[in-house]
Amino acid sequence: MQGEGGFGEMEKQLLKLKVNGQEYELYINPKTLLVEVIRDHIGLTGTKRGCETVSCGACTVMVDDMAVKSCAVLAVQVEGRHVTTVEGLEKNGKLAPIQKAFLDQGAYQCGFCTPGMLMSCEALLKETKTPTKEEVREGIEGNICRCTGYNSIVRAVEAVAKGNYREG
Amino acid sequence: MIHDFTYLKPGSLQEALVMLAEHKDDCKIICGGQSLLIVMRQGMLVTDYLIDIKGLNELSYIIYDKKEGLKIGATTTHRIIEKSELVKDKCPILVEVEKKVASIQIRNWGSIAGNLAHGDAQAGDLAPSLIALGGKVKLASSRGDRVMPLEEFYTGFFENAMKNDELMVEVQVPPIRPRVGSVYTKFNLIGNDQGIVGVATTIEVGHDSTCKDARIVLGNSGVTPIRAKNAERVLMGKKLGDQLLAEAGEAAASEADPVSDIHASEEYRRHLVRVLTERMVGQAWEKAICAG
Amino acid sequence: MNKYSVINTHVHNVDGIAKVTGRAIYTFDVKLPGMLYGKILRSPHPHAKILNIDYSKALELPGVIGVVTGKDTLGVKQGIWRRYQDLCDEQILTVDKVRYIGEPVAAVAALTEELAEKALDLIDVQYEVLPAVYEPLDAIKKEAPELHAGFERNINVTRHIEWGDVEGAFEEAEYIREDWFKCGGQAHMCMETRAAVSSYTPDGKLTVYHSSQSPYYMQGLLAGVLGLKEGNIRVISHYVGGGFGGKFELDAALFCSAVLSMKLHRPVKIVFTREEDFIATKRRTPMSYYVRTGVKKDGTFCAREAKVFTNGGAYTGMGATALYLTGFFHSFPYRWKGYRYDGYRVYTNTLPSTSMRGFGAPQAMFCSEQQIEWIAADLGLDPIEMRRKNAHYPGYVVPDQATIASCGIDQCFDVVQKWIKEKGKLPENRAIGVSAAGFMSGGIFNWFDTPYSFSSAVVTINYDGTVELYVGAQDIGQGSNTTLAIICAEALGVRVEDIKVHSGDTEHCPADLGAWGSRQTLMAGNAVKMAAEDAKKQLLEVAYAQSGFNIIYDLDIKNRWVHAIARPERGYDYGDLVKKAIRGKDGQRIIGRGYYTPHRKGMISPAYSYMMQAVEVEIDKETGKIKLVDSLTAHDCGQPINRLGLIGQLEGAFSMAAGYGYLEYMPYEDGKLMNPNLVDYKVMRATDMPAVPVAEIDTYEPEGPYGAKEAGEGLTNPTAAAIGNAIFHALGVQIKECPIRPEMVVNALREKEERERK
Repeated sequence: MQGEGGFGEMEKQLLKLKVNGQEYELYINPKTLLVEVIRDHIGLTGTKRGCETVSCGACTVMVDDMAVKSCAVLAVQVEGRHVTTVEGLEKNGKLAPIQKAFLDQGAYQCGFCTPGMLMSCEALLKETKTPTKEEVREGIEGNICRCTGYNSIVRAVEAVAKGNYREG
Repeated sequence: MIHDFTYLKPGSLQEALVMLAEHKDDCKIICGGQSLLIVMRQGMLVTDYLIDIKGLNELSYIIYDKKEGLKIGATTTHRIIEKSELVKDKCPILVEVEKKVASIQIRNWGSIAGNLAHGDAQAGDLAPSLIALGGKVKLASSRGDRVMPLEEFYTGFFENAMKNDELMVEVQVPPIRPRVGSVYTKFNLIGNDQGIVGVATTIEVGHDSTCKDARIVLGNSGVTPIRAKNAERVLMGKKLGDQLLAEAGEAAASEADPVSDIHASEEYRRHLVRVLTERMVGQAWEKAICAG
Repeated sequence: MNKYSVINTHVHNVDGIAKVTGRAIYTFDVKLPGMLYGKILRSPHPHAKILNIDYSKALELPGVIGVVTGKDTLGVKQGIWRRYQDLCDEQILTVDKVRYIGEPVAAVAALTEELAEKALDLIDVQYEVLPAVYEPLDAIKKEAPELHAGFERNINVTRHIEWGDVEGAFEEAEYIREDWFKCGGQAHMCMETRAAVSSYTPDGKLTVYHSSQSPYYMQGLLAGVLGLKEGNIRVISHYVGGGFGGKFELDAALFCSAVLSMKLHRPVKIVFTREEDFIATKRRTPMSYYVRTGVKKDGTFCAREAKVFTNGGAYTGMGATALYLTGFFHSFPYRWKGYRYDGYRVYTNTLPSTSMRGFGAPQAMFCSEQQIEWIAADLGLDPIEMRRKNAHYPGYVVPDQATIASCGIDQCFDVVQKWIKEKGKLPENRAIGVSAAGFMSGGIFNWFDTPYSFSSAVVTINYDGTVELYVGAQDIGQGSNTTLAIICAEALGVRVEDIKVHSGDTEHCPADLGAWGSRQTLMAGNAVKMAAEDAKKQLLEVAYAQSGFNIIYDLDIKNRWVHAIARPERGYDYGDLVKKAIRGKDGQRIIGRGYYTPHRKGMISPAYSYMMQAVEVEIDKETGKIKLVDSLTAHDCGQPINRLGLIGQLEGAFSMAAGYGYLEYMPYEDGKLMNPNLVDYKVMRATDMPAVPVAEIDTYEPEGPYGAKEAGEGLTNPTAAAIGNAIFHALGVQIKECPIRPEMVVNALREKEERERK
């Protein structure tokens, strides 16, 4: 685990990670952020980055069903935990209720904030089955959207909470 | 870009303290990293060793002791505290303050000790609130433990009283006495944004509703949280009234040591301290009377 | 009763699945084999000569593949106003001098982003620092440093709009008011920062992936600066993470990655950090406005005169258009007997300013609509009735400027009045402010000097009845792919699900000016309608031949049903007709083409949208904190086409416009942006948004497809003024600077109370 200073190669370490139910074995520099592992090492580009100050939320993923900004997490810290990205929402090509609700409500425009936004919404609904309007807005407060003005996203979450997309 | 570091992951608190003692001259502790990673990414912080205590579950706990009060382990996340029934019961203001911290994502991963140790007096909600509650922190090292009032913890701009081989392991809030009211507010422009100024107040009243004890702590109003002792003195032994609130506000405004930046001038910050102190003292006082 | 099958129905966005499943590949995500990562070295000085650039040490760093400077370029001064060579003033990798902090001076390509960043520190640039100037009124002084040779007093562009007898009209006026305003800049703050991947191959062809609002413009501009043929440049913009007016000029990500790729013969990717996006991508134009207005005591508008100085920053960009439009829309939506506007765009050593959603109109309305409200208050008149009395109407001719065809502003006043009345008495600390506005549906003046139709479309029908729609119009999130698919489906008589939209690739799509000026629904929509009708005509020829109907009967296709209009119940499936028609054409697919360029519609725009917005604001008197509580927008966009898209545009425009009104402060000190990050630059969050209900006013615009007009930018215009007017009604203070911040409110209130005490 020792590394040379300057431009020498930092010795990489083994990281075992579970993303969207799939086990991955990676060798990474310990300073690698979770978002870099997801996007560059594993190659799942759904999760985006939009700032350097942990402000925008475009990198939001779920770690053990908690919404987390993956640009502010060292990848080594999620060993043994379960990471879910936007690609993990659908099951065998069937969209998750929140994704269907986004389509129905037009709760996205350019779509760049959407993966992170979906993960915040999904985490919120996992935690609170019937959130109040206030709680929905607070639930996505950490995610910036420049296009929609948020209200359509709130409508989408409320539609799921109301049970519009229940199976069966 | 983050500079390379040697990553150390202790399996226990003891191991962490040994590592700290060994590398004390050039190491940093990381828990949630919600503040640390930003400054590391900007190259403002370079370290040879990074000791990761995020995985130390033995430091994630919330317990209540009748004598010492609420004890929260260092790695406990904001979200756990926010959702804790125990905290809601024993110190409800702490739940309210936690809800004001940043965003849910940051609260899910960031820890209470990380927030307090980072010591961003320009942005912190917890430090002023905990100081107003008489909060304490327990610092551990391979040499032993010590407990100190949070009020004495901050020594300067992003500086604190920890020795370089010490680790914050616990946050304590003494038991809340009867007829005590605590409040916290911050002034910001949007949502849960960091405050331009913040004011935390705890008032204890006597049976006759006069002020028996007061703690007024100004956040984001100086290089460290500031106890507005002159403002507190104004209140002692008095009965609640508009004139008194105005006096306390004026006193707090002159005790503040705010900066002028693009968000607010020094003059406006003092104005906000005055207004918010008036409001918080009034609200805390009423809460204290009701709690009796 | 909706007379259309597809138009104005609830249609899913056609890019929805890709976007909600994370499959959409943005330029930000593009990875090509052998790709290098580029970073840009930027000037720390606002004004300086470049004496020497030594990058030898950077090249010695292992993993650094190459460095380029202005010396590696053709040194072409480019600009998007191609028709006017003197306004083409920007070399993106500048050769001789830098004119703003953040201007690119060199670019590095390396194996990793981290190495490229390390290499920047190893490039040594020697500057001769020159005196700098930051404010327009300082830059026009005789002694001010000259930014561009040949531009006396640093005056970059001037614009003059005048009609009627202005002095005479002022003499007629019974009440005259004059005010000075200061409107701030704003950052586009697209979620996807500027990004480009350029790949130059040994066959002399350049392929670029670019987060862009106009692949065609990029093709043309790159050809000009790189010395390549347009046809040898391919621009791909499949998914774009927001544009808002900031992404249809050549940017440094695209230019530097292309120059690097041409030198190194490998793909190069450059993605701006959020900080770079703030300091080095052009911003909304800050403007200082002087407004003098004369009215009669009964509220009839007589005369207005406005003098405006805009802070152009270091280069022209789209600033010339913003300078014109601000002066033009400053008259909207009212009739003036005499109107005069003089606009001066001034070069300064700050970030160049350019187009941003609203294009000068948000600034114009902030000044006009607030002053009008104050005049109404000064005269004791109802502010909405005063506006109504003077408003545009269908057929009105703005003298020498434009003819208004459809105009629903009067109905907008009715809706807003009703809403305010129903609100009744408001709680303490709350007030409602209103603002009217109007906007264009695309611009006519051909400053890009394109020889092509402004919009084109090709419709191809396959044997199975599915339809390929090729457009050059660019979807940047506003939903143009969906809107155009809807128009195509309606015109052809099929469903949106039958249509596959091809856009964002100059290799396969026709030229189109792209997404700016709210032009695409009207202009590309007209092209699509024409193409679809062309294709339908070819199908119906076969149907007519088969049917043997009497000549007086018309056939049509609706909902995939081919039928006689007089006898809709008798018909057959569109799919069967397609098969027959293709056989009839020797096995060739049915191809329809369409195009549109506005003709004989003046020089500004073919059509104008109208709206009135009311915003309910809660204000804390002591702290000055502003909270938006409720709103209503009455909106005339002619025929709504894409219902979900329209609501999205309205709500989104509101959040951006409200940001301009009270949040998005962008302060500079000595040419340096003080808050280039999302902690200190404040944008609306979910908890800050009120409800944004919209009342659509029913009008029909003859120039628009199915009567449609724009709905993308107009709604960015009224909100700042509405917020200002609400604060005026709540506290009696007149704030003449935006964004309006709490400290300003507290200070204004204190000054007012001091004045009243005297």
